[in-house]
Formats: sequence, C-alpha cells, structure tokens
Amino acid sequence: MKRRVVITGMGAITPVGIGVDDYWRGLVNGKSGVDTISAYDASTFSTRIAAQVRDFRLEQFCAVEEPLQCADRWLQFALAAAQMAVDDAGLQPGSIDWVNCGVYLGAGEGATDLARFGESVLAASGESGQIDPRLFAEAAAGLIDPMDDLMREANMPGALIAARFGAMGYSSNSLTACAASGQAIGEAMRIIQRGDADVMIAGGAHAMTSPLDLLGFSLLSALSKRNDEPQKASRPFDAHRDGFVLGEGAGIFILEELGHALARKARIHAELVGYGLSCDAYRVTDMHPEARGAIIAIKRALADAELPPEDVDYINAHGTSTLENDRTETYAIKTTFGQRAYRIPVSSTKSMTGHLVAAAGATELIACILAIKNGVVPPTINYEFPDPECDLDYVPNEAREMKVDVALSNSFGFGGQNVALLVRSFT
Amino acid sequence: MHSARRVVVTGLGVVAPLGNDLDSFWSGLLAGRSGIDQIRRFESKGFVPPYAGEVKEFQPEQYFDKRKVIKMAGRHTQLAMAAARMSFSDARLTAEGLDAERFGIVFGTGMLRADLADIGQMARMSRGADGRFDLRLFGAVSSSKLFPLWMLRHIPNMVSSQVAISLNAQGPSNTITTTCTAGAQAIGEASRIIERGDADVIISGGSDARVDPLSLVRLRKLGLLAICQRDPQEVSRPFDIDSSGMVCAEGAAALVLEELEHARARGARIYAEVVGYGTATDAYDLVYPHPEGRGLQLAINRALTDAHLSPEAVGYINAHGASIPRYDLAEARALKTAFGKHAMRLAASSIKSMIGHAQAASGAIEAVACVKTLETGMAPPTINLRRMAPGCDLDWVPNSARQLAVEVAMSINFGFGGYNTALIFKRWSGGV
Repeated sequence: MKRRVVITGMGAITPVGIGVDDYWRGLVNGKSGVDTISAYDASTFSTRIAAQVRDFRLEQFCAVEEPLQCADRWLQFALAAAQMAVDDAGLQPGSIDWVNCGVYLGAGEGATDLARFGESVLAASGESGQIDPRLFAEAAAGLIDPMDDLMREANMPGALIAARFGAMGYSSNSLTACAASGQAIGEAMRIIQRGDADVMIAGGAHAMTSPLDLLGFSLLSALSKRNDEPQKASRPFDAHRDGFVLGEGAGIFILEELGHALARKARIHAELVGYGLSCDAYRVTDMHPEARGAIIAIKRALADAELPPEDVDYINAHGTSTLENDRTETYAIKTTFGQRAYRIPVSSTKSMTGHLVAAAGATELIACILAIKNGVVPPTINYEFPDPECDLDYVPNEAREMKVDVALSNSFGFGGQNVALLVRSFT
Repeated sequence: MHSARRVVVTGLGVVAPLGNDLDSFWSGLLAGRSGIDQIRRFESKGFVPPYAGEVKEFQPEQYFDKRKVIKMAGRHTQLAMAAARMSFSDARLTAEGLDAERFGIVFGTGMLRADLADIGQMARMSRGADGRFDLRLFGAVSSSKLFPLWMLRHIPNMVSSQVAISLNAQGPSNTITTTCTAGAQAIGEASRIIERGDADVIISGGSDARVDPLSLVRLRKLGLLAICQRDPQEVSRPFDIDSSGMVCAEGAAALVLEELEHARARGARIYAEVVGYGTATDAYDLVYPHPEGRGLQLAINRALTDAHLSPEAVGYINAHGASIPRYDLAEARALKTAFGKHAMRLAASSIKSMIGHAQAASGAIEAVACVKTLETGMAPPTINLRRMAPGCDLDWVPNSARQLAVEVAMSINFGFGGYNTALIFKRWSGGV
C-alpha cells in the first residue's frame, strides 16, 4: 500500500506578509505587494517595479551567526521559512530521526554582486574595448569575498537548512525555473512514499529582484511595464495584462508520513495526494499553444491522487499575468476539466505577490492549504477587463467563502517545465 | 524495498578534456593521458592558475538542428546537447520509437551568474563620471545593447529544456543544482523516476563549463585550486602527498537510463544495471567535507541498502578524488569506515587526475567511466600518484590502468554545501 504523505509544518516569507498568518491575511484582503523598486536605483531599466519583501529581519526568526545576517536575501528567507516550518510542526532536536530527514528544495540562486563585478571589469578595461582576464581576476580577487560568492550557489539554502537541523537524509535541489519548488515538494513526497524518509523539509526560495534579473526578463519582454501603477501591474487573466512582476520570498514545508505524524500526535494541515510532472519540449521561450505539457502534468497529478477531475474544488493557477500563460493555462484547465472548468474557482495569487519564480510553487501550495483549512479562496486582484480567451471564474478581486476539500496548484516554468500538485483536507 | 521495475544503462555520451566522444575519452583514460593543459578559452598568459581541463576543438553545430539555437545556448548547454545526442544515438533510439510522454531528461548543471563576454562588456560601458561603475548607466546601456536572449544562456534548466526540445522528450524533466554532486544526483533521481513508473526512458547526466576568470578566482580565493609550478599534466594528483588542490575543468556526460523490459523489448544493448542510489548531506560546512566524511559514509550505506548488497560485493570504486588534500583524506576515511576491512582490497581510482574537476558534470562523467569499467573489465588509473598522502593508504590503481573483472562498481561524489552521492552499477550479463 502506498505510504501517505501529510503536511505538518509550513513557513512563508512573501511580499504580502511574513509568516503564514500574515501571508494569508494579505491574500484574503487582496493586498498587493508590488511597488517601485527601492533596493537600488532602477530608473534606467524599462521595468522599475517588483514585489519586495519588506521589514524582514532574520534575527527575529532564528538566532544566526553574523555572516548570515549579511547573506543574500533569498538565503535568509529560506532559513527563516524553514525555522517557521520546523516550529510549526513542533519538531525539536531529538524529537525525530533527523539523520534520515532530507532537505529537497527548489531554490534559486543568489543575486550577482553587480557593483563589485562591474568595478572589477572597469579595472581591467583598456581603451581597446578588451577586458584583460588577468587584470580582471586580480581586481576581483581584491573585491569579491569568495565565501559570500560561494554562498550564492543554488544549493546553499538546502545546505544551511541541513546543517541547522542536522538533517542528513536524501537531499537535493531542483532548479527548474518557475516550477522548481513545486517539483521539489513532489520529489520529496516520492522519497517518503518510497520509504527512504519519514520526514522531509521541502520547498523553495528565490529573490529574482536584482538588476540582472530585471534586465534579463525585461529583454525577453516578459515583464509588466506598468511602472506608474505598480499595484495594478500584476493582473492575471485581465485583458489589459502586459507581463509579470518579479517577486521574492520563500515557502517551506514539513512533509511527513501519515503514520509517523499520527504517532507523534502532530497537527496535520492537509494531505499531499498528487504530483504530476512533464515537459512541453516545444520552445524555450513559449508554452505549447495547446498546453500539451500542462495538460499532461495535471492529468498525471489526478491519476496519482486517484481522483476524478470532478473532485477538484479550487485551482491556484500559475497565472503569471503574461498574455500567453494565462490564455494557455485557461485552455489547459478547460481541456482537462471539460464543462466543469467553468464552475471551479481559479485564482492567481501572483496578482498580489508577484512571481516568486523558484519559490512560487511552494508559496502557492500554502495558499491552497490555507484555502482548505479556512474555507476561503483568495482572489485574483486587478481583474477589471474580461479577456474572451480567459473566460473562467477567476475569483475576481474579492476572496470568497467556500468549502474546499481538494485543491490543485499549477506551476509552469520557463523552458516548458510543468508541475501540478494536489492537496486534500485531512480530517 | 527492491523495486519491481529495474533500470539499465543503454547509451553513453561524453564530451570531456580527454576527448569529444566516448571512444577517445575511454582510450585516453586507459592510457593514463592527462587532458589538462594551458587555458585556451581566454588569454591565460600570466593568469593564476594558467591551466585547466578544457574541452578542445568542440564543434556544437553537429549537435544542433538550428544555428540560432546555438547562440542562445550557453557552453554548458552546448556540451550537454552533444553528450545527450551521442548517448541517444549510442542507445540506437529514435524519436519515432519512443512514447514521448514517457521519455524524460534529467541533468545536473552549474550556473555562471555573470560572464565577461556579455555582462562584462555592458559593465565596461558603464563607467560613471566619477570613474566608478554606475548602475544607472548599466541599466541604460544593457537595455539597448545586450543580446536579448542573454538570460537563456544562463538559466540552469535550459540544459534539460533544450535537450528535451531537440529529442521531443515530453516526460519528467528535472535540473539538479547541487554543485559537485549534481551530475551524479541527476542519474540517481532519473533512476527513481523510472523505478516508480513515471517514465520508461530518461537521458540523465551533467554538464558544466565554468573555466572562466571569475569562477577560477573564486575557487582560488577559497584556497581550493592547485597553484604550483609544474607541468599542467602533473598538477591534478589525487591522494598524492604533493597534491595542492583541484584543477578546474569542463565537460558533459549523458547516460540513457531505461526500464529493463522496455530495453529488452527493443533488443537494446545493455551496458549495466543501476542498482543503488544513496545521497546524504554532511550538515557540517559549506566548503569542506566533514573530516570523517560522515555524509559520504551515509550515502554509501544508503546506496548499498538500496541495492541489497553487502560492502564486500563492491569490486571497484570510481572515487571523487578531487585532489584537494582535506577532501581526499575525508574520502579515504569514509571509505575505510563504510567498507571496513574490505576497503584495503578495493580498487578505487580518480579520473580527476586526468581530466580535472568538472564540478556539476563530474559525477556524470565518472559514472560513464564506472559503467565502462564494468563493461570492459578495465579500471582507469589515478595518475600522478607517486607517494600516498598520510591516511590515504588505499589501492587507488596508481598510474596504470588495470584489468579488473568486477560485478559491482560504485561511483561517489561530494562537494560544496556538504552534498554526497553514491551510485551503484552492476555488470550486465544477460541478467537475472
């Protein structure tokens, strides 16, 4: 018989709230976390807005040594969210077999220290337009702190979390763009199902709000340029949407085998029942027009959960606010759920949080679980002008009270990576 | 719990400092040749260190259907594409013969966040009035002058994504970013996906191409790179008393993993069976391994448990052998603890002595060597091993390849952040 996997702990750092309770309050109140970028002078970039985490201090969540207090943001978010999840699950040193507890994250990479990189380049640039590699290296050796630089590798959040809790089990880091943390949660679930662990720490963290991130996505024409109305910029499924808004944060879970959770009388938030994975294999920058990969992922998650499509009560959409994603995702939902698609509330919390990229799947799964627990589904804000190609019930602008037993979370990543996760109420 | 679905290796592909295809790579290893040389990718005269393990004379054109795709593929993606397509041909697979939805791609890779060719050139044009780097200028210059698809050259999952597009693999896809163990983990993760029934065929492997000034400076400042006045071919010397650090390298390798019955049904040649995968973290330090290699021991034990094998069953180990003294010692200690008395009878070799450390690709390149050892009954040597470092007193197959008919071989990797991985392969003999 399949080993069942439940969620016993959650932690969230998001632009609309720090901590699971604040995050949820932000979502049900329709709060936008998007604003003009304040961390640096973005005035010459075509997009100058992002959803930033504000008033965050790592020391408020866990005692850390000095180097970590100045570590890159995403690393701090990951540590804080992991501590929240561990505390929420009531885990203590010695209370579980930490040696076999793994850490499977879908964490992004840290930001480039562009100023120091730039200074090193300038020190090595002559009139000729060439950058002398030897002079560059000498300058960089003087300016760049190698530990600080190493700590921007994508596996460092997982490494630090493992070290903090002594979690030495099956561990990895997926970096599959916007599908990463959803995928990590799915793979961690499989590790427990297989019997390789009873408890896993899983989720993701990312802070793609730095100048190079803004630049890269701008050049791909993926970002909203609604710089004058930041809070209205992320508008999934609205006819006037013009791209996504970069966000930052972390979402971390404690996943646990059901019998293990019951034996230690843990509070169970929900059961993780389905995971589906696929690749569009179509184009690097575009989704398949008929959403073939997205449909496969959703169908696989349903088959994995042994649930008929009729049982899905709520869908937390990938809903990025790009023309293409929202249209294609709508098509995928209609193809998978048929006529019933029109009766399922579908909302995109990215309308409020922006796009947390690698951390999106994890934070959005938290929204699904809280919808189940609280009997309320969060809205899609900024929904004003209907798009004929997006004609589902997107829970426009106001949260809605309703009973949710089963919720689906979609994550479709750049490059055609698709993940679908299904959670069910646990009573 | 032994899984009902068995996973076998039916195709291999490799692009490495010793050769741009499987045959030249393998014959180079058995000949004990070094692929480490003066750096050619950039002007390296006076650069410290001046040597690396580079892939030479690589022609990406033959592995890409469209030229414009090459331009948006970073070098690590180009190398991965070459290795993946070679493994696909080697396995005699065709797109028509595969169920695309049950065919996946899992790669481990490393990313370069800022490169001199693209971002460096933009930074060069961003000197403010005070002579310093000016972010406002950078924003303006790069918004108009940078290659619009620049970002695609660096996002890690472009490796798996490009390969998936090229071979129409619509099944499970993953990109693992656990630095030095990424390639090995990709193979382990892919084998799990096939075992659990989510795919029948997966191309798994690793790629990394970070022989660039910034990556080298970082490793040098961490104190991990070999800096010495020697012939470049003698610098990487794992387990030797005179080793002074690792040599940075690049490369890619791919293994076609296939569910046994699927392989049998199409009459595929089977190289070996994947029988064990174990991974663990040290939970200790970000740069150095635990002195006793505790995570590595755990990974080895987990892989053995997974394979239902006793330590004595293992006949050959493709060691991590980074040529970093503290790493090599931790590895020797972990092997002694995990294998007990059997450790002294084990043959273990580090091909990093010949190709250097290709970081995220190393686990995959070494898995290919491990599989070839089982197939051919030949173990590649650890070259440059004159006198063993204290505590590193195991049989590292010093300096010359050795005939070694073994049934079971293990490949181990560990690295930054304290991630450890062990893979176990079993020789294929018709298979019961």
